[in-house]
Amino acid sequence: MTDEAPREAHGTAPAGGGRLRRRAGRVGYLGIVVLVYVYLLTPLVIVVLASVNAGEFLTFPPEGFSLRWYVSFFESEAFMGSLFFSLRLAFFATIVSTALGVAVALYVVRFAGRWRERLRLFILLPLLLPEILTAIALLFFYYNAEAFFRAMGFDLGSGVFRNSVLGLLIGHVLITLPFVFLGISASLYNFDRSLEEAARSLGASRLTTFRRVTLPIIKPGIIAGALLAFIISFDLFNISLLLKGIGIATLPIQLFDYVRWEFDPTAAAVATVSIVITVIAILITEKLVGLRSLRF
Amino acid sequence: MTNSVEVPAAGGASASGPARKGWNPTLFLVFPTVGLLAAFLVFPYLNMVVMSFRNPSTSQVFAPGFTLGNYLDALLDTDLYYLEILLDTMVLGAATTAICLVLGFPVAYHLARTSSRFKSVLYAFVLSPLLVGVVVRCYGWIIILGNNDGLINTTLMDLGIIESPLALMYNTFGVSVGLVHIFLPFMILPLLGAIQSIDPALEEAAQSLGASRFRTMLRVVFPLSLPGVQAGTVLVFVLTISSYVIPILLGGFSVMIMPTLVVQQLMDAMLWPFGAALAFILSIAGALVVYVYFRLTSRAIRGIA
Repeated sequence: MTDEAPREAHGTAPAGGGRLRRRAGRVGYLGIVVLVYVYLLTPLVIVVLASVNAGEFLTFPPEGFSLRWYVSFFESEAFMGSLFFSLRLAFFATIVSTALGVAVALYVVRFAGRWRERLRLFILLPLLLPEILTAIALLFFYYNAEAFFRAMGFDLGSGVFRNSVLGLLIGHVLITLPFVFLGISASLYNFDRSLEEAARSLGASRLTTFRRVTLPIIKPGIIAGALLAFIISFDLFNISLLLKGIGIATLPIQLFDYVRWEFDPTAAAVATVSIVITVIAILITEKLVGLRSLRF
Repeated sequence: MTNSVEVPAAGGASASGPARKGWNPTLFLVFPTVGLLAAFLVFPYLNMVVMSFRNPSTSQVFAPGFTLGNYLDALLDTDLYYLEILLDTMVLGAATTAICLVLGFPVAYHLARTSSRFKSVLYAFVLSPLLVGVVVRCYGWIIILGNNDGLINTTLMDLGIIESPLALMYNTFGVSVGLVHIFLPFMILPLLGAIQSIDPALEEAAQSLGASRFRTMLRVVFPLSLPGVQAGTVLVFVLTISSYVIPILLGGFSVMIMPTLVVQQLMDAMLWPFGAALAFILSIAGALVVYVYFRLTSRAIRGIA
């Protein structure tokens, strides 16, 4: 490893046995590091391999190449339906949480004053609370809200929140909002205010300044936050599980139901497609703004 | 700034004074979000507290009236069934956290100190499990660990090393493999931040004074990265004790922990008040553990600083 070269060079040569022990320790340390990377990546690689394997079960060595599980995926109405539903849901959740995130990040960084820290914490709350608890709380709340409206004489139809896209969308926006907020506020903190002042003093209106100066500068933060929001919403599980209405299942839910009872590699094809969608989103982020701007 | 008269908040930080007097247009920026969080996060959580004191019902999700019975049923159960599950959950959380720390520390240290040109690729590897859905990752483990047709079992049987398949899934082992895998990035990222902020000269000093590499790690790097250790361990512990998908997919119902139990009560038994009470018992127990841990470790961190 290149990082070791300088230290090895100026280190005083210890006695022979010590050097051997150090070498062994070094190999052990790098061995653990490599094993952990293998451990992290193996399941993902295995899923992809299983999806193009001809046999019912992945064996070693594989039985040959086949795209039949993809055919079975593309022919499955349930999977295709949930794939497009998930993409649509993630798209709308991203739009809403990005719009809210830009506005609230501007406020927190620029105008919040002494409320800044408290407000920041409040917006990050959905990230700090366990997702499963938030999902349960929303399920109860939607049920009670529907009952409340019914009691007040507004019959909105059964399950206006629980069995509809609206309730699910609100849940997804809650969870994705903190990520968008973090991305955008990070780029706002590193922002040189004198650029805006220059634009204003040259006669640009407030709106023009925002559109032509502020927005282009914070664009990387917005893009990184929005793409992360898209990925997170696309993969969100707990909220979707507890709030899934009759007949609405996102891709992760559909996959979950499938792999619990069926073991054929159609699920691997579905999982691979979902990995590919995530990778595309990451590559777009990397291309546009660099992966480093994904802050956690 | 002359225009600070028409829009009081234009002056930035100084605007918090006049903002209190009149209607401030910049509040339009913050109202939608705060409104959304108040209506669909704060209010639902309060509602969940109320739900946990509701009377149970057999025909509906809850009956009118309030009771302490849900909490008492869970805590005073004569078989200690629920308390045992709670304890199992905490033990699983602690074990997962410890394994993540042991595996994550070398990786974080390596990533922090390497000057390899593949550094950003390695960084992406660490992040990658985080960005792929949890169901997909569990499914990968199901293919590998499967008790009858899993990759490990079929391979070992084909090679004649074992006669009958090993039980790798639907037990604590399988669940731990999945949990550690999925939460490891949450350990590595805070550790990475902490280790990167340690001056490498300190390690060189320790080694030039004769400390072995291992001793340097133990006595210099690890103590200085304790804030990262604290953040990572709390994060992994909280995530583990509230995880549902991984235990259910890799453990089935044979590894019963609190989140599985809660969802079972809510979705299958339709006992909403009891499920809510169980969820709060888990939250309070988890918060207590984290609080005590925080107090203890913060003292250790102060002792070093």
